[in-house]
Amino acid sequence: MFELVLLFSRYIFVFYIVFYLWQGVVYVAEEQGFYIGNPFYAVSIQRIIIIFFHITAYLILSYVPGEFRFDPLYLVTGAGGLLFIILALNITRKVYKKSCPLIWNSMIFLLDIGFVMLQRLEFELAEKQLVWMTFGTVIMLFIPLILKLIPRFEMFEKLYIILSYVLILSTLVFGNEEFGSVNWISIGSIGFQPSEIVKFLFIFYLASVFRKRVELKELIITGALSAGIVFLLVMQKDLGSCLIFFLTYMVMLYIATSNTILFFSGIGAASIASILAYKLFSHVRVRVAAWKNPWVDIEGGGYQIVQSLFAIGTWGLFGSGLTKGMPKSIPVVERDFIFSAICEEFGIIFAMGVVCIFILIFFRGIKIALRCTRRYYSLLAAGITTMFAFQSFIIIGGVIKLIPMTGVTLPFVSYGGSSVVISILMIGLLQWIESYYEIRSEGSETDI
Amino acid sequence: MKNSIKKIFWLISLMFFLVIIWLGKINFIDREKFNVNPYNPRLQYTDTTIKRGNIKDINGEVIAESEYTENGYIRNYPRSRMAAHITGYSAVGKTGVEAAENFELETVDNEVLQRILNAFTGTEVKGNDVVLTVDMDIQSIAGDLLGEQKGAIVVMEPSTGRILAMQSYPDFNPNTILDDWDNLKSDEDSPLINRTTQGLYPPGSTFKMVTAIAAMEYLDDWETFTVECDGEAEFNDKVIHCYNNKAHGTVDMHDAMAQSCNCYFAEIGKRIGGENLRKVADRLFANSSIGFDMPSSQSSVVIDKSSSESELVETSIGQGKTVVTPMYMATLVSAVANGGIMKKPYIVDHIENYEGEVLKTTIPETIGEVMTYEEATALRDMMIDVVNEGTGTEASLKGYQAAGKTGTAENESGIDHSWFVGFAPAENPEVAVAVILENAEGNKKATPIAGKIMQAVLDSKW
Repeated sequence: MFELVLLFSRYIFVFYIVFYLWQGVVYVAEEQGFYIGNPFYAVSIQRIIIIFFHITAYLILSYVPGEFRFDPLYLVTGAGGLLFIILALNITRKVYKKSCPLIWNSMIFLLDIGFVMLQRLEFELAEKQLVWMTFGTVIMLFIPLILKLIPRFEMFEKLYIILSYVLILSTLVFGNEEFGSVNWISIGSIGFQPSEIVKFLFIFYLASVFRKRVELKELIITGALSAGIVFLLVMQKDLGSCLIFFLTYMVMLYIATSNTILFFSGIGAASIASILAYKLFSHVRVRVAAWKNPWVDIEGGGYQIVQSLFAIGTWGLFGSGLTKGMPKSIPVVERDFIFSAICEEFGIIFAMGVVCIFILIFFRGIKIALRCTRRYYSLLAAGITTMFAFQSFIIIGGVIKLIPMTGVTLPFVSYGGSSVVISILMIGLLQWIESYYEIRSEGSETDI
Repeated sequence: MKNSIKKIFWLISLMFFLVIIWLGKINFIDREKFNVNPYNPRLQYTDTTIKRGNIKDINGEVIAESEYTENGYIRNYPRSRMAAHITGYSAVGKTGVEAAENFELETVDNEVLQRILNAFTGTEVKGNDVVLTVDMDIQSIAGDLLGEQKGAIVVMEPSTGRILAMQSYPDFNPNTILDDWDNLKSDEDSPLINRTTQGLYPPGSTFKMVTAIAAMEYLDDWETFTVECDGEAEFNDKVIHCYNNKAHGTVDMHDAMAQSCNCYFAEIGKRIGGENLRKVADRLFANSSIGFDMPSSQSSVVIDKSSSESELVETSIGQGKTVVTPMYMATLVSAVANGGIMKKPYIVDHIENYEGEVLKTTIPETIGEVMTYEEATALRDMMIDVVNEGTGTEASLKGYQAAGKTGTAENESGIDHSWFVGFAPAENPEVAVAVILENAEGNKKATPIAGKIMQAVLDSKW
């Protein structure tokens, strides 16, 4: 009987995500003037779907086949997760008045998909992840208050870049090597990735500088300073983060200047730089070789990517069913390769749905950036949104072998304290900008 | 600024769109390849709640089935050792067809219906059956002929690449694999290795087929060229002997093939040159995969421009560093039989669901036209002479004309391996064989075995 339930669950999960996305469409359509359904219902239905998803997944995960009982340990973590979801869904929209509900729902849905997957992979990781999720969300709830106390935080541009350098350099000095990259620092028993925090600071910095008219001088200084960060990340073999920083820089520069020539010469310069990096660094060559043809070196450099492809490709559109696959055959599956595990057990359609949720967040973020009348906020929103987009594209594209694999985390979904906390905080900031404008536009139409 | 943001939006949306397309590509195009790749750990996957599908031979005889016991389903192999290297085992990991077709055997057709029936009426949930091209009658004949002689036999249908039989000895009993595991693992004779696909042997004189094809291509005078054979010939730093130092007198290629004259083939090998010989060997897929869906070793012919003369002449007569699998030799000789068209060998005829409906059928694939029709015909004529008046007379058949090539492969052990590759009827080939007997004391032991198998296959057709 359990087998039958498991079989149906494969279709139910697909139904959940498709229905979830459809409610997103309903909401957006109403905004654009095409009425398909009540947008408020749509948002509520989304919340219910997330809760249903969580409950369905946990019932499957906690069931002990053959013994006709549920594992209480799993049920407790599951209940903890459920509590988190319900509280997060309700408190966020109260603290951030008039913020975008689609972004909140999508963030929490992604967090929960990651949480469920971690529970399936490694019990302890899910517990830790729950702590980080809660921690991140709690801090995020204070963002509006903090920004009230420090109203003009664009003033601290120098501080942001100095702090960024300090953090990145500190990894070079104190860093531990993990998964081939030296981008970890341990304080006591807690390890964290400074490059995650630098992401935050970097966007602040660029938005602060580019909010003014960009002259040649700023262009050269910011260019050099950003290139410095990118270079240091290459030195730490953290190619994924380095790509994210570079692309975010290019996009923010383009948005600030609208200069197409500058944009394409930047891309050109990057191409030359990557060719140089390919020639200079063996770890770059290894990644590229593993991407070009992992099949010739399955037991060596191609191992990870080939295992990931097997996981994605073997079971087809509806996946193997939760707990039925073999995602543990992929190295670092809980972190970089979690998307492959989702593909394997939830199926390709569900995984495409996950990509669509990232698109939804991206779309809503860009919408926030477009509505801002202050250049600074617009840049900030665009920076955060594109950084998310790039990060998710780089890691998903990497694990499906669309682009060379560079290890970064999949925002909200991958295991990792710093990644989850910073991602939540960035969404908090984005939503703060949205609610800032929504509340103001209600009062008066004028803006600075 | 707003415009730039919009442009960036479309650019990044395009990137995400690409991701979705790519996922679709993995699912609809790459998936088949992933499901048969031996490195995919999911080939070892077993769903304990379903009855794994049966493996059957072409006549429907079950050679692997699942039986329900108090410990759940266990695998039973009615033909035990006779088909051990075909079925493989499914207990401590999986091998053979059990591994290669694991995905099919574990796939439940109409899963929803079967599961519902199972939940309410208790009927078994059955995986798909795999029906092989193998004919157990031929497999048994080959097995009996091989007996307890270390070696391998591959029987193939040249026009399609269908495997009719595949024997390898030493073998194992797949029914008792768990109990025998430690012994089998440590046995120096490697009974778990399927020698037909994983055994690498020097080809000996059977390689003269390759040298002959190269000669037809690169030597304009190959039809008239003769060598005076006095039993041995001296090259730069190497003396080549004919078998038992037998002097063959003045021989052309026909005589040399029939008598398996080493001096002749060493001489033309020298004239062809390492580079050209390698080109031909590469084109004959000696150095690349022939795409058989079971774990296979790669045959290799390592000769090139820079090889020394001694390496070149040794390679020309099938010694030197050249190694081949019996599966490759069967595929190669099938290409000769087939007028130069090499077919990809395959062992799964079709897949059936729990009700016996055919779900998919394997369509024979062509690897390529590896030699011209004229070359294949000329080579076939020489191989007919081998059987009629040469070294392979013991492979001559009643009522049919066979063609073939014998081989005696020197190896490290000091006791030669005995080879025969051939096909019949020569004019319209229906069966091709490759037989190797390891360390067979005495020459040409493989030849009569090959003859008997071809006779049996052809007789059974009428």
